[in-house]
Formats: sequence, structure tokens, C-alpha cells
Amino acid sequence: MEKNVEIIDQKIHMSRAVFRESWISIKSNKLRSFLTTLGIIIGVCAVVIMVAAGQTVQNMINDSFEGMGSNLLLVRPEFVATSGVKSGGQSVVKTGDADVIKKLKYIKAVSPIVNGTAQIIYGNENYMASIVASTPDYLYTGKWEIERGEGLSDRDVKSAQAYILIGKTIESNLFPSGESAIGKTVRVSNIPFIVKGVLKAKGQGMGGVDRDETVIMPVTTYRRRIRGSYIPNRVNYIMAQVDSDKNINKAKRYIENALRESRRLKPGAENDFRVDDMTEMVETVKSVGTYISILLASIASISLIVGSIGIMNMMLVSVTERTREIGIRKAIGAKNSYILYQFLLEAILISFIGSMVGMVLGIGISQVVGVILEKSVPISMLTVVISFSVAIIVGIASGIFPAIKATKLDPIEALRYQ
Amino acid sequence: MAKVIEVEHLYKSYPMAIGDPYPVLKDVNFSIEEGEFVAIMGPSGSGKSTLMNTLGCLDTPTSGVYKIGGEVVSGMNEDQLANVRSEKIGFVFQGFNLLMKRTLLDNVSIPLIYAGYGLDEQHKKAEEMLSHVGLQNFVERFPSQISGGMQQRVAIARALVNNPKLILADEPTGNLDTKTSVEIMNLFQKLNEDGKTIVLVTHEPDIADFAKRLIYIVDGVVHYDGPVSEFKGKR
Ligand SMILES: Nc1ncnc2c1ncn2[C@@H]1O[C@H](COP(=O)(O)OP(=O)(O)OP(=O)(O)O)[C@@H](O)[C@H]1O
Ligand SMILES: [Mg+2]
Repeated sequence: MEKNVEIIDQKIHMSRAVFRESWISIKSNKLRSFLTTLGIIIGVCAVVIMVAAGQTVQNMINDSFEGMGSNLLLVRPEFVATSGVKSGGQSVVKTGDADVIKKLKYIKAVSPIVNGTAQIIYGNENYMASIVASTPDYLYTGKWEIERGEGLSDRDVKSAQAYILIGKTIESNLFPSGESAIGKTVRVSNIPFIVKGVLKAKGQGMGGVDRDETVIMPVTTYRRRIRGSYIPNRVNYIMAQVDSDKNINKAKRYIENALRESRRLKPGAENDFRVDDMTEMVETVKSVGTYISILLASIASISLIVGSIGIMNMMLVSVTERTREIGIRKAIGAKNSYILYQFLLEAILISFIGSMVGMVLGIGISQVVGVILEKSVPISMLTVVISFSVAIIVGIASGIFPAIKATKLDPIEALRYQ
Repeated sequence: MAKVIEVEHLYKSYPMAIGDPYPVLKDVNFSIEEGEFVAIMGPSGSGKSTLMNTLGCLDTPTSGVYKIGGEVVSGMNEDQLANVRSEKIGFVFQGFNLLMKRTLLDNVSIPLIYAGYGLDEQHKKAEEMLSHVGLQNFVERFPSQISGGMQQRVAIARALVNNPKLILADEPTGNLDTKTSVEIMNLFQKLNEDGKTIVLVTHEPDIADFAKRLIYIVDGVVHYDGPVSEFKGKR
């Protein structure tokens, strides 16, 4: 029992001592150790920055879908060339389609949408607004909330009232003094409109667009007063919100069947519209973000491989240079395993130090760049995990072969080596 | 008295690139008792270093039996041999073989790493050993900062530090001038008087005179084995 304790004591002493030997030998070759470490520093730094960049892009993509209602189906026109005759020229979706969809089971909200841009003027102030012409349901499908005033009503749409809801950016630009926009008459494309409500701020959307530049008005008003369409009641697309994600596929089929019927499509004829699951589309786009992250990190990891070859190279040179030292150590009682540990530990220490410095540097640089670009750059656990794994894996991978080479040296030959 | 070294029918031959293996040691037999001071002499190429490397467990014999303190060493694996080198043998080389980038204190401490001592104990023992060889004022120096004679003293301190039964020295004065050689030999003599068993290889009869017993080897065969004073060979 006491003997066991003694042996464990000895092992601890020995591991400490071997650690010290490795550390001293790194220290006594400062320049070379530094240059070798630099390879790993750059490699890990690059990976950390690329991971941060990838995640930032991903977060931006995710954020831009934040302001979108859940369980959405998107109904868009689809051009069909039927054999021989073209079926009445263009395929379109109209406000009437929205009315058909609204009656269906599982559907919670439906909004036909026309997008446009228009100058909005109040007094001396003007702003280029992005117009969404829709129905009251758009507050749900577009995930908007009213901050002040009230939303549009079905009657506003039916009688094509000149009411609008405006985003925060519009309000602050048209009313710089800070007075409330509610009830004020503004001009959109030179047509007077009354501001009925102000929308809660949403911030930036996809591609850095300001979502608070939005103006919402009844689709009927837009078509009659701002920009008509030679196909009456034509809209760009229809957003339909399903009550639960379980029912999305059923709702999609219902919509398809109902629209086929209302459009009097013959059996076998192709749909001249398409219904897409927005969640699915969003997931696809989001997964592109993931691929971008992985791609960036993989490119950066090439520099890590180069760095690890650098360590291996240094260790091989070191083993050759220190052949005599290895011979001496063996002659005075070092087992092969201690020689192995010493050289392996040297490689691991170098890659560990390099990884940690590279990690700190990479996080630092990505944060600074984040501040400069006014983007919040995440510090992810992934980065830390990668750095630590690299430290160990690269250390072992680049150190094991030279270390084994060191143990294989014959002490007599090694002592003869000059 | 207990036998420290027993060598029975020891053969060593080196494999050649072409043809038969080249025999270097041929049926060597002797034993050395505790406390002896033995000089090994012989012409160049006669196999002295080969014998010393075998005695020092750096090399294994082709055949024959080698025992240290009654324990059969021939046939041990590399790890076992490393243990024997660590515990029972102190080696002193012609070229000193110190680690040039390490202080004298570290140099003398290293055998204690492999013997499993903690750092404090290593340094305490190493310091003791360095003062034993008269270098107490140089512990933090590097080998390049001291003379050859002093370096060999460090090597001797290193050989002694783990308190081995047996000190082996292959031409320890080969790189030293006459005056320094005598100093080193005096040190060996003192160690022998303190009870250490010492085996050293030398070319110089004057150095061999410090020993009590002489083994003379020619062409891998023991030609003389007896008191130094009675050797009438190639002198
Ligand atoms: N690794 C080896 N491979 C082949 N031959 C060897 C090897 N080592 C030594 N020899 C040969 O063995 C013989 C004895 O060599 P050894 O070094 O033991 O002689 P020595 O008596 O120590 O000589 P010196 O007095 O010059 O040191 C020599 O002929 C040498 O060439
Ligand atoms: Mg020799």
C-alpha cells in the first residue's frame, strides 16, 4: 500500500519534471519556438475570425426573418405555357384569390400584397418610403405591432380609405420636432393620406434595409389612387398564415384545390400559381448561412494545417539537433517513454500556447471589426472548443512522429553524434 | 565480499553489411567485487568501449551472461535496462556529455528526474554532489563557462548523484591535460576509498596506476587480469 503511494508520488514528480524539461527547452530556443508558435497563432486566429464572420452572417440572415410571421404560406403567380395555346396570357394572383383563401379551414390570416416605393411628404420634410399595400391581416402575416393610433380596418380596405400606418423612421423624418404623426395629413405621391397609426420599430432587415421605412395602406387605395394595374385587383403575392405548423401541408393542399376550382383549371392542367411554405424557404436560406460558415472555417483551417506542419518540421529538426542530448538522457536512466513524453509535450505546449494566443487574438480582432462595422459579432463557445481541440490535436499530430523518432535513437549512436 | 559485476562467456559481434558478423568481444570472463578499482586497457579497437557499453547496459551482449549485484541483466528489455542505468550505474564519458544549455545544477539533477525525485530534492542532492566535487560556487553556471576539468567533475557528480553501486568511466581523462587528469584521478581514488566500485578505461599507464586491478584486452580477448603493479605487458 505504502509502496503504491510512493510509486504514484514518483509518477507525479516525473510528469512535473518532464513538463519542466519540455518548457525549459522551449524557452531556451525562444526565436524558433516563437516562429513555430506564430504558425498556430495565425491558423487559429484565422479560424476564429472566420467562424465569427460566418456566425455573424448567419445571425444577420436569421434576424432578417425575425420580422416575419410564423407558419406562412406564400401564394405567387406561376407562368405556364400550356401545349399550343397560352392560357389567357399572363398568370396572376388577385385580391379575389385572397378572399377565396380566407374562407378555408386552418387559415388564420390572409394578406394580398402589392409592394412599391413612393415619396412621402409632410410640410418641408420628405422621405422615400417603401409601400406595402395590403389588408388588416398584414399586421399578423408581417408581424407588425401598432405603437400608437390604430390599425387599418376591413372597411378602410373596402371603401379604399386614404389611411396609412407609418414606420418609426418615417415618423422621425417627417416630424423631426418630435410631435406625433397620428391624425396628421401627409402626401404620398402627392395624394393626401391621414396617418392612422405608427408601427413599432423592427430595426434592420435582410441586407441592412431599414424595415421602419415602411408605409402600410389598404391595397384598394393603392390600386385606385397611387398606381393602378391594367389587370384589375392584381397583387404581387398573397401571404396566408396557418393556425399551426402541423396543418401547413393540409392548408397548402386546400389552397391549391380551392384556387384551381375558382380559376376553373381543367383536371390535368398545371397550376398557374404556386404555394410555398415560407418556413421551408427560410430554412433553406438559413442553411446556406451554415454552409458559408463551414466553408469559411474550412478555408481558414488550411492555414492551421500549414502551422501544424511547421511544428512537425521544427520538432524533427529539434530531434536531430538534440540527438546527443537524447543519448545522454538515455544513458543516465531515461526510459523511452520519458523521451516520448518530453518531445510530445513540447509540441503540445507550443500548439497550446499558439492556440490560446490565436483564440484571444481572433476574438479581439473580430470584436474590433464588429464595432467598426456596427455589427454585433458573437463570441461563440464553438470558437473556444475549436481552439482547445486544435491545441491538443495539432500538438499530438505534429509531435508524435518526431517524438517516436527520438525514442528510437540508439543511445550509443546518439552519444557518438556530433 | 559481494560481487558487483559478473561476466560469463560474453560475446559481442556487430552485423556487417556483407558477410558474417564481425566479432569484437570473444568469450570474456571476469567478476568485480564491491569496492574494487579496475582499469581496463588495450590497443585501439580491441573492444574496450564495446565492453564498457555492455557493462553500462547501453548495449546488450550477443551471447553470454552479465550480472550486476547478482541480477542477470543480459536479456532485459529496454525499460528494464533504463531502470538499471538509473539505479545502479553512473557513467562518465570522455567527452563529458553535459547538456550545454542547462546549468550545472540542472545537469546534475537530471538523473534524479528519472529516479522519480521531486524538484526540491533533486536540487538539494545535486547541490550536495556539486560541493562534493568542489563546485559549490558554480551551480548556476553553464558548462561552457567552466574548464574541461571542471566539466568532468560535473559529469562525475552527475554519475554519483543517484548513489549507484558502480561507476563506469570510458577514458575520462582522454580530453584533459596531465595536471587536470591527475586531479580527476585523485577524485576517483577518493570515491573508491569511500567504497564506490570503479571501472575505467584508459590508454595511459600513469592513469591506470591509480587503480588496483588491471584488465588488459587484446582483440576482444582478456590477456591479463590481475594487480596493476604486476602487469609487465605493453608498458
Ligand atoms: N556499431 C558498430 N558497428 C560495427 N563495428 C563496430 C561498432 N562499434 C565498434 N565497432 C568495431 O568494434 C571494434 C572495437 O571497437 P571499440 O570502440 O570497442 O574499441 P576500443 O577498444 O574502445 O578502441 P579505442 O581505444 O579506439 O576507443 C572496432 O574494430 C570497431 O570498429
Ligand atoms: Mg573506446
